[in-house]
Amino acid sequence: MTLITERPGPGAARPYRFPQVVRRAVAGGQVVAAHLPGQNLAVALLLLDAGAGREPVGKEGLGAVLAKALEEGTAQRDATAYALAIEALGTELVTGLDWDSFQVSVQVPVDRLGAAVELLAEAVRTPKLDPADVLRVRDDEATALRMDWANPGPRADAVLRGDIFGTDNRWGRPMYGDPDSVAALDVDDVTVFHSEWFIRPGTLIVVGDLDRVDLDALGATAFAGAGGGPVEKGGPIEVPRHDRRRIILVDRPGSVQSTLRLGHPSPHRAHPDHVPTTLAGTVLGGAFTSRLNHLLREVHGYTYGIRGDFASSRRFGRFAISSGVQTAVTAPALVEAVGEVSRTRAEGVTEDELAVARFWRAGQLSVELQTPRAIASALATLVVHDLPDDYHARLREALLAADVDQVSAAAAAHLHPESLTLVVEGDAAVIRDELVATGLGEVVDHTP
Amino acid sequence: MPDSGYPWPIETTRLDNGLRVVVSEDRTAPAVAVNLWYDVGSRHEPEGQTGFAHLFEHLMFEGSVNVAKTEHMKLIQGSGGSLNATTNPDRTNYFETVPAEHLELALWLEADRMGGLVPALTQETLDNQREVVKNERRQRYENVPYGDAWLRLLPLLYPPGHPYHHATIGSMADLNAAGLPTFQAFHQTYYAPNNAVLTVVGDTTAAEVFALADKYFGSIPPRADIPAAPDGRTVPTAGRPAGETVTADVPAPRVYVAHRSEPFGTPGYDVATVLATVLGSGRGSRLYQRLADGERIAQPDLIGAYGVDLAHAPAPLIATATARDGVTAERLRDGLAEVVDELATVSVTAAELDRAKALLSTTWWRQMSTVEGRADTLGRYATQFGDPAKAGERLPAWLAVTAEQIAEQAAELLRPEHDRVTLIYVPEEKAA
Repeated sequence: MTLITERPGPGAARPYRFPQVVRRAVAGGQVVAAHLPGQNLAVALLLLDAGAGREPVGKEGLGAVLAKALEEGTAQRDATAYALAIEALGTELVTGLDWDSFQVSVQVPVDRLGAAVELLAEAVRTPKLDPADVLRVRDDEATALRMDWANPGPRADAVLRGDIFGTDNRWGRPMYGDPDSVAALDVDDVTVFHSEWFIRPGTLIVVGDLDRVDLDALGATAFAGAGGGPVEKGGPIEVPRHDRRRIILVDRPGSVQSTLRLGHPSPHRAHPDHVPTTLAGTVLGGAFTSRLNHLLREVHGYTYGIRGDFASSRRFGRFAISSGVQTAVTAPALVEAVGEVSRTRAEGVTEDELAVARFWRAGQLSVELQTPRAIASALATLVVHDLPDDYHARLREALLAADVDQVSAAAAAHLHPESLTLVVEGDAAVIRDELVATGLGEVVDHTP
Repeated sequence: MPDSGYPWPIETTRLDNGLRVVVSEDRTAPAVAVNLWYDVGSRHEPEGQTGFAHLFEHLMFEGSVNVAKTEHMKLIQGSGGSLNATTNPDRTNYFETVPAEHLELALWLEADRMGGLVPALTQETLDNQREVVKNERRQRYENVPYGDAWLRLLPLLYPPGHPYHHATIGSMADLNAAGLPTFQAFHQTYYAPNNAVLTVVGDTTAAEVFALADKYFGSIPPRADIPAAPDGRTVPTAGRPAGETVTADVPAPRVYVAHRSEPFGTPGYDVATVLATVLGSGRGSRLYQRLADGERIAQPDLIGAYGVDLAHAPAPLIATATARDGVTAERLRDGLAEVVDELATVSVTAAELDRAKALLSTTWWRQMSTVEGRADTLGRYATQFGDPAKAGERLPAWLAVTAEQIAEQAAELLRPEHDRVTLIYVPEEKAA
C-alpha cells in the first residue's frame, strides 16, 4: 500500500458571497429579506425590541412566560385549534430570547409562508392571555426551570453572572430568570409587558426564494394593527472589574464531575476591538484545537471538553470559560485553565495558532450560512446591531487581515486573569481543601 | 405527493478495492461535505468489550502515518471547516464540511486514517482518550438527572447476547480493560475500504471526486473476511410487559414506555415514524393534548414520542412524559399507557394524519437543507440499503402511510403483552 504522503494544498478559492439583502419599509414596519433561489424551505422571523434587557429587575423570565402564553389561544381560536392550524402547515412557532431582542419564527415550505405568517402575527399581536392560562403557563415555566436547574450548570452560570455584573442589575441575573423569579410573576406583569413591547411593529425577516414570496403582503400581515415607535435602546454599560480573583463554591453533593465557570466583564458588541478580541478568544478557547481544550482534554484527559469565549450584546459583554471535569482533578484543572488565560494575556498568540483561528472563523461563514434559519439569524444580527448589508463580506475580510500584533494586543487588553471569578459547582466536601490549597484566591461558599 | 425526497443528482462508483463513492453535485454554496460511513458499530462488540467502537472513533482523530497527533483537527479548522464523528449501535460516521477548495485536503486526511492509523496508534494516545471517553460518560450519562435512561432501556428491550443489548458508550470496567492490541486489530478488521461508503455533496463534480478518491484511497487494500455482527433481526418475544422503577436524585417523576417496532428502512418502520409523530410531536399531538393540556398531569416541554432509527433489528419506539407538580409516578404511568393503548382503538383522524405528515415533511427538508445533511443521508442509504438513491423514497413512503396501518401496528406491536417496557423514575425522599 502506498498512501500519498504529501498533504495537498488548496484549490482555487471560490468567491465568498452572502445572499442578496432586500430592505423595505412596509405598513409601518421594516422588512429585511435574503434571496435563496431554488430553496424549498422559507423562514419568517419577527424581531421585536423585547429582549431580556427590557424586563424589569425582579421580573426575570417575563419574556419566556409570555412566549409560551402566546400559544394558549388567540382572539380568533383556542389553544388546540391554534396548534392544529399551525402544525398542519408543517411548522411550529419557534420563540427565542436574548439580551437584545425577542424573536418568533416559522419555517415552512415556501408556498405555505403566507399562511404561516398570518398565524405568527395572530399569536404575537392578539393572544388571548386569559388569566388562568397565564398562571398555568407561569407555573409550568417555573417547573421547567426547576427541572433544568437540577442539571449541573445553570446554578453555576447564575452565580458567575451575578458576581460579574451584580445582582442589583437585570444583566446580573439569569437571562431566562430562575425558578423563583418566574414563580413570583403575576398576570399583570405579563399583559403589561405584552402591551408595552409586543404591539410595536418590529422587523420582519424573510429568507427563501423571494421570487415565490410577496414581501409587501407578508409585511402587511405582520404589522397589521401594530403601533408605537422605536424606543431608546441605551448605550454601553460600564462594568467594573474585580480587583482580586476568588473562587465561589456551589455545593452539589455526590457529583462525579465539577462544573467550572470562569469569567469577567468584557467589551460590548460595537467595541472597535470586536474582531481581534473574537480571534484571541478563538485561540484561547473557541475551537476544538484551542489552547484550553488541547491542554485539558488532549494532554491531561481531565475533561470531555472545555471552551472559552468572549460574548457580547449591545450594552455589555463577558469573557467566560466553561467545562465539566472529573471531581478528582478539579483543582489541577482549575490551575491549568487560569494559567492558560494568564499565558495568553502575557505572551499573546502565535502566527500558527492565529492562522487556524482566522481561517476557521472566515471559513465558517461559507460552511455555516447555508440554511434559511442560519441566514435569518445572520440578518437579525444586521438589524440588532445596525450593520450594513455587506457586513458578512467585510467581516470575512477583517478576520483574514487580522495580524498577530493586533490579536495579541486584544488578548492583553481584554483578558484579566487576576479579576476572574472562578465558580466551581461540585461536591464541596471533597474538593474544598484542594481548592483552598491552589492559592488561586479566597474560597467562598455560595449560599442560595 | 412529491415524486422524490431527493431531487438532486446522485452518481456512484466503486473503486477496485471495494470503496463505494457517492457524489451529489450542488453549486448553491461554495462548500463541500465529505462523509464516511463505516459499517461497524457497537452491535459488533463482543461481551467484555463494550464501548470499544466509540472509543476507537476518538482514536481516529489522534494522528495517522502522515498526520501528526492533533493535526487532523487543526488542518480542517484551519481551512475553515467543521468536523465531527459519531458512533451508534449500527455504524460509525466521520464527516467534515469545508470550503470547496479544500476538498482534496479532506480526502487526503480521511484516506490517511483509513489506510494508516495503526502504525501511529500509541499507548499514550489510548490512555488519554480512554480518560476523555470516561469523562464523556460522566458528563452525559452519570452526572445528569435521567441521564442513564437509555442505558437502562436497552437491556430491557433486547435480551443478553442481542447486538443492541448494551449501550454504545460502554461500561467503565470494559473501558478500563481496553488494551492497545485490541484496537489495532479493530482497525485492521473493520476499517477497510470495502466496509465503507465515501459520500461528497456540494460544490464539486462526480468526475473530480471519483478521480480524487482513486488517487487517495485506491491503494488501500480491501479485507476479505470482515466478520458480521450477530444477527438481531429476530428477537424472541417474552409475551409479557417488563419494567424497572428507579429511585434517584431527579426533580420529578418521569415515565418511559418503550417497544420494539420494526427495523429502520422497512415499511413497518415508516408506519412507526408517522405513528410516533401523531402520538408525541408538537402541541397538536395526542400526548400533548391529553396529558399536558387535557388532564394536565405532564409538563408540556418534556413530552414526546420517537423512534430510534436503527436498521439491524426491530428499532425502539419510545414515549415519555414527566409529571407536573403533585402528580404521582403511578398516575402518570397510567395516563401515558392509556394514550399509547388508544392508538389501537381510537382511529387516527385525517387531521391528525395530515398534521403529522406536514411536520415530517418539514423535518425531511430541513435535513436536506445542508450539504452535510444530504451527505449523511446518502451514506446511510448506500451503507444500509445498498443504494443511495433509495433516500428519495423515504418521504413519499411516510406520506403514503394510512390511519388503518397505524391502528394495525398499534394493535400488533404496542400491546402491553408485546414486551412493553416501562421505565419509571421516582425522586428520592430528601432528608428534612
